[in-house]
Amino acid sequence: MAQERKTYKLLYKTSKTFLKTSGALMICATVILFFYTQYLLKAELQEQLESTNARAIEHLNLTGELLVVHPTLSVSSVPNLLAPVRKDTLIFDPFQEEMERFQEYTEYVESQGIFYKVTSRAMVIDTDDFLIAIILSFMVILLASFVFLFYVNKSRNAKLWAPFFTNLERIKGFSLKSQSQLDLEDSGIEEFDELNKEVKTLTDKISFDYQNLKQFTEDISHEIQTPLAIIQAKIDTFINANSISDEQFEQITSVQKEVYRLKQLNKRLILIAKLNNNQFKNVKPLDISTILKDRIESFEEIASNPFQILEIESVKVAMDEYLTEVLLDNLLSNALKHQEGKGDIQVRLSTNELEVSNPGIQSIKNPDKLFLRFYKENEGQKSTGLGLAIVKKICDLYGFTISYHFDLDRHWFTVRFS
Amino acid sequence: MKILIAEDEIELQHSIQMYLERDGHLCETASDFEEAYDKVVIYDYDVVVLDINLVTGSGLDILRALKDHKKETGIIICSANNSLEDKLKGLDLGADDYITKPFHLAELNSRVNAVLRRGKYGGNDTITFNEIKINTVSRTAYINDKSIALTKKEFDLLLFFVSNKDRVLSKEIIAEHLWGDHSDLMDNFDFIYVHINNLRKKLTAEGAKYIKTAYGSGYKFMED
Repeated sequence: MAQERKTYKLLYKTSKTFLKTSGALMICATVILFFYTQYLLKAELQEQLESTNARAIEHLNLTGELLVVHPTLSVSSVPNLLAPVRKDTLIFDPFQEEMERFQEYTEYVESQGIFYKVTSRAMVIDTDDFLIAIILSFMVILLASFVFLFYVNKSRNAKLWAPFFTNLERIKGFSLKSQSQLDLEDSGIEEFDELNKEVKTLTDKISFDYQNLKQFTEDISHEIQTPLAIIQAKIDTFINANSISDEQFEQITSVQKEVYRLKQLNKRLILIAKLNNNQFKNVKPLDISTILKDRIESFEEIASNPFQILEIESVKVAMDEYLTEVLLDNLLSNALKHQEGKGDIQVRLSTNELEVSNPGIQSIKNPDKLFLRFYKENEGQKSTGLGLAIVKKICDLYGFTISYHFDLDRHWFTVRFS
Repeated sequence: MKILIAEDEIELQHSIQMYLERDGHLCETASDFEEAYDKVVIYDYDVVVLDINLVTGSGLDILRALKDHKKETGIIICSANNSLEDKLKGLDLGADDYITKPFHLAELNSRVNAVLRRGKYGGNDTITFNEIKINTVSRTAYINDKSIALTKKEFDLLLFFVSNKDRVLSKEIIAEHLWGDHSDLMDNFDFIYVHINNLRKKLTAEGAKYIKTAYGSGYKFMED
C-alpha cells in the first residue's frame, strides 16, 4: 500500500522553515562567537601576562631585585633554564579566603649569569564573566530579532497568500452542476493571477463540455422518441394487418418488448437528465404516507402477495410530488422484481426513515455499485439498470441518505430523511 | 367524426390515420405548422391530434388559435417531451389530453374516443356495443340492462377493448394501458391473464362472447 504523504499547511511550513533556519543560525553564531571571544580573551590575557613578565624582567635587569606580588607575580632564581610554561592553576586567595582559578605564565630568563624563573598570574574569573555576558546579550538580541522577524514574516506571508487562499476556497466551492461561473479574486501578484487565469480557462472549458454533454444526452433521448414512436405505430399497424401468421405475431411481439425496453430506458434517461438540470422545482410539503399507501395499492394489483405494512406514520417532507412518486415506485418495483424465496415485501415508514425490504437468497455482490447507472447484478436481467440510480439521485437532491444491507435473508433499502 | 392529425412525421401520421379510420372516422392530415393552422381555423374538427413540436412552429400556438376562434374542438396533444410543464401548459390552454411519444395507437384511439364522448355532439357518457352498455362516468357496465360487477381494472380493460374493437391487442399493449410504467414487471407475473380471464368469464356468463384470442397470445374484441 502506498504510504500517504504527510501534508502541511503552507503558512505552517514556511514558519517552520524560518524557525528551523533561524534556530540553526543562532546556534552556529553563538558557538562561533563563544569560541572567538574566548580566543580573544585568552590572547589578551596571555599578552597581559607576557607584558607583566617583560616588565619584571626589565626591573630585574636594571635593579637585580626579585619582584614578588603574591599571587600575581613572582621572580625566583632557578638552577637551569626551561621552556616557557602556560597553565591554569588554583591558588588560595587570602583576601577572598577561597581557592581561585588563575591563568599563569612562566618564563625562564638569564640575567647577569644567573637563571631566573618569572611567573605572572591573572584571575580567570573576570574573563569568564565577560564571555558569559557577551554571549548572553548576543543571544538575547538575536532571539529578540528572530522572534520579531518571525511574526513580521508570518503576517506578511498570510497577507501575501490571502488571495490564494480565498481563491482556493472558491475553487473548492465550485460545482459543475450550478450554472454560476467561477469568479476568482485578483491578487496583483503575477504568478497568482496567471494561476487564476489558467484555472478559469480550465473550469470554463469543463463547464462548457459538461453542459454540452448534458444537453447532448437530453437531445439524443428526445430525438430517439420520434423514431421509436414510428416503430411503435408500425408494430401496431402490422399486428392489425389481415394476413400475418402466429409465428410472425410472436416475432413482432418480441420486437414490441424490446421497443418497450427502449422506451423505458429513454424515459429514465430523460428523467436523470432533468434531475441533473434540477428541473423539478415544484417543491411543496407533502405527506409521504398518503402517496405511499396509494402506490402500494397500485402495486398490489401486480404483486402475487399483498405487501406487509409494518408501520406507516404520517411524514411531511418538502418534495416535488412527481419525484416522490418516482422514488416510491422505483423502490417498490425494485423489491417486487428481485424478491426470491419465502416471505412478503415489507414496508415501514416512520418519522425519519422509510424502509422497504424483500426476501432474497444472498446479499448483493457489489453493494457499493448498487446505485450506479446500468449496474446489473445478473447480466440476464431485463431491467434498465437505472431505477436505483434514479432513487439515489432523488435522495441526493433532497439531502436524504439511501442505504442497503442484507440481513435475515432479506434485502433492506433504507431512506433516511434528513 | 372528423379528426385532424397534425403531425410532421409522415410515417407516424399515416399509421395514426389508418388506425383511426378503421372506426369510420374521417381523418385529415396536416404536415406542418402552417397547414395545421389554416385547417383548424377554416374547418371544424371534432378532435385534433396535435404534435406540439411541429417543424415550423409550436403546437401550443395552434391551441391558442383554436381558443381565439372559440372552436369547440377536442384536442389531444402528443409530444416527444415528457415534461410536466409542457403538459400543464397544454392543458391550461384547453387541451383535453396529453400523450407522450412513443405511444400505442390503441392507446391514442381510446383517448380519442374518450374525448369524442365528452365532445360537443355526444356529451354522451354511455358507450354501447350490441348488448353491452358502459357508463364511463359512473363506471358501470350492463349487459342486456343487467349490471355486471367488475373490478376497477376489469372495467378499464373492458373500456379499452370496446374502444379498440376489431383490433388486435397484444398483452403488452394491454399491460401498458393498465399499468403504464410498471408493466415491465409483467415478465415475472401473469397478472394480465388473470384480469382478462376474469373479465371474459363475467362477459361469457351473460352470453357476451366477444373477447377472442388472436395469434395465440393476443386478444381481439369482436363480433363473431
